[in-house]
Amino acid sequence: MAEVILENICKTYGNNFHAIDQLNLSVEDGEFLILVKPSGCGKSTALRMIAGLEDVTSGSLRIGGVDVVDMPPKDRDIAMVFQSYALYPHMTVFENIAFSMRLAGKPKAERKKRVDEIAKTLQLTSLLDSKPANLSGGQRQRVAMGRAMVREPAAFLMDEPLSNLDAKLRVQMRAEITSLQKQLGVTTIYVTHDQTEAMTMGDRVAVLKGGVLQQVDTPKRLYESPVNAFVAGFIGSPSMNLFEATLTGDELMSGTFAIRLQDAAFVRRPSLRTYAGRKVVFGIRPEDLYDSSLESGRKYQTIPAKVTSIEELGSEHIVHLSIDAVRVDSGDPDAVQDFGMTSNAVAKFEPVSTVLPGSEIRLAVDDAKLHFFDPETHLAI
Amino acid sequence: MTPQKRSHHRLKRAVAPYLYLSPSLLIIGLLMLLPMVTVIAYSFQNSAVLRRDPSFAGLKHYQAIFADPVFWASLWHTLYFTCMSVVFHMTIGMVFALMLNSDRINPTLRNILRVLYILPWLFTAVIIAVIWRLLLEPNGVVNSILMQMGIIGSKVEWFSSPETALHAVTFANIWAGYPLFMVSLLAGLQGIPKDFYEAADIDGAKAYQKLIFITIPQLMPIIISISLLDFIWTMQVFPLIWITTGGGPIYSTEVLSTYTYKLAFSSYNLSQASASAVVILLISLGLTLFYIRYQKAR
Repeated sequence: MAEVILENICKTYGNNFHAIDQLNLSVEDGEFLILVKPSGCGKSTALRMIAGLEDVTSGSLRIGGVDVVDMPPKDRDIAMVFQSYALYPHMTVFENIAFSMRLAGKPKAERKKRVDEIAKTLQLTSLLDSKPANLSGGQRQRVAMGRAMVREPAAFLMDEPLSNLDAKLRVQMRAEITSLQKQLGVTTIYVTHDQTEAMTMGDRVAVLKGGVLQQVDTPKRLYESPVNAFVAGFIGSPSMNLFEATLTGDELMSGTFAIRLQDAAFVRRPSLRTYAGRKVVFGIRPEDLYDSSLESGRKYQTIPAKVTSIEELGSEHIVHLSIDAVRVDSGDPDAVQDFGMTSNAVAKFEPVSTVLPGSEIRLAVDDAKLHFFDPETHLAI
Repeated sequence: MTPQKRSHHRLKRAVAPYLYLSPSLLIIGLLMLLPMVTVIAYSFQNSAVLRRDPSFAGLKHYQAIFADPVFWASLWHTLYFTCMSVVFHMTIGMVFALMLNSDRINPTLRNILRVLYILPWLFTAVIIAVIWRLLLEPNGVVNSILMQMGIIGSKVEWFSSPETALHAVTFANIWAGYPLFMVSLLAGLQGIPKDFYEAADIDGAKAYQKLIFITIPQLMPIIISISLLDFIWTMQVFPLIWITTGGGPIYSTEVLSTYTYKLAFSSYNLSQASASAVVILLISLGLTLFYIRYQKAR
């Protein structure tokens, strides 16, 4: 077990494309760190550099206090779980798990003992003679875990290991991997584009965008105090609603409505006063918007909105709305999917809500939960 | 739908696939099965083709060819020629495919090599035979180079000496046939996921271990399929040997195909030639059945 420290890590490709730019990250011994990026950002690069599968352009990388930048993958004392699992189809489960021990020339008896132990932990004992083709997605995933565990590495690297599983199995495997990590206590770096995995699995989450680290924090703090509009939009599902408004006195003015801010909002963010008379970006999460006709929404001030569509999920209603405000793009390519052509806001209403598509409603806003960002830099105020 | 209509519909559905297949079945029947059956029939007749009313000969012609030492020499030469060809086709094809698949080679050089390596495939057997006859002439380029390098002391008559002729035609056939393996294995190599090698790198596999534990097992289905096909095809090679040595000198490159040809068109013993052809057919059939069983097992 060991800590993994990345200092000023850069990765530049031949065409001058900066995949990773000045990445500083410290993963403590035994910590479960999630590296999360929107989809399609070459997000595995950082992980592959730690594994030694990609060269580091500049910077220092230490695993367990040893600088590993110039070390081949095998000497870095890490194990990796690939997105595709990379199980050898011509080998049985036993042979797959024991492969690294076989390469290391470990005696047969020792290999069998170790693989049996791991198979027991992962409930694979009855499948040891099967070939990967005969296993289910979840079982293959466990074999890939077993192959990583057999090496007793200083750190586990996991590259979107759940992305090939169906939604239900993903939930189950999420819990299995988390508890296994706790049980083994091995430093783990886990790459995903799924922010649900990021929020539920890790001790800390590092959010990257375009190769630049945005914020590293506990899931709770990422959700409650995002450092910029990108993190605000990226963490949480559906994404945070971000709009442009003008701060006039203690009111946010946008189109035909105004939201009055409480003193607490200014006490918590003294610099917000400096935006008086200027534009500001405000954000509100869908779960902090309420149906004003219900008990839960009565205590909040309201703004006019038009319901465009409703997704009834049983436990809640995802309500797509149109409000008189200019929506701000957080920079998260996945966030766009939350908004249709006619709506610019999303709210989560209780299932007892009776609002109908096309109706004009009063939308209750929990103004204590508002987030504020600079309109130029998108940094949190 | 009335019961009558329904049964008519069912009949139509049952017959339709055979109707679609019928043109190809007819062609196969006329061009393959009919000649095959005719040759088998000839092998049991006296003076087949030559007489209008040939008499039944039983196994006489089979006994005759099995008693002929030239037949056994041809069989041995065929096996040597085929086994050496297949083994070297595979080895050379594998080495070149690995080379072309390697990302350590400069892409431009790789493209040039790709064209060069595939060249033998572009030539017909006749051209290959002529090229190698010229190259292996006593006064040809090969002798000249080997003598300059000091490997041989005097000119070797590669195709005219009984000691070297079989090796020389085998060599020419190896040269002509490796591209099939190379192209097939290259396609196979490109289909092996990169993850396998990366996982092996992390596990500490050396280059030869990756070849033994990942590359070769992953290519095995291709290796077996192409080897079997190559074995079947090489066993029947005729033009290359016919044009380079004609089966000589003193039967030293006689293979089953040239032996059969000579029986038919030099000795005009068409019955014995048919018996010899049936022997080739049976050997090929055995290999083909093995190939089909292997394909089914997969």
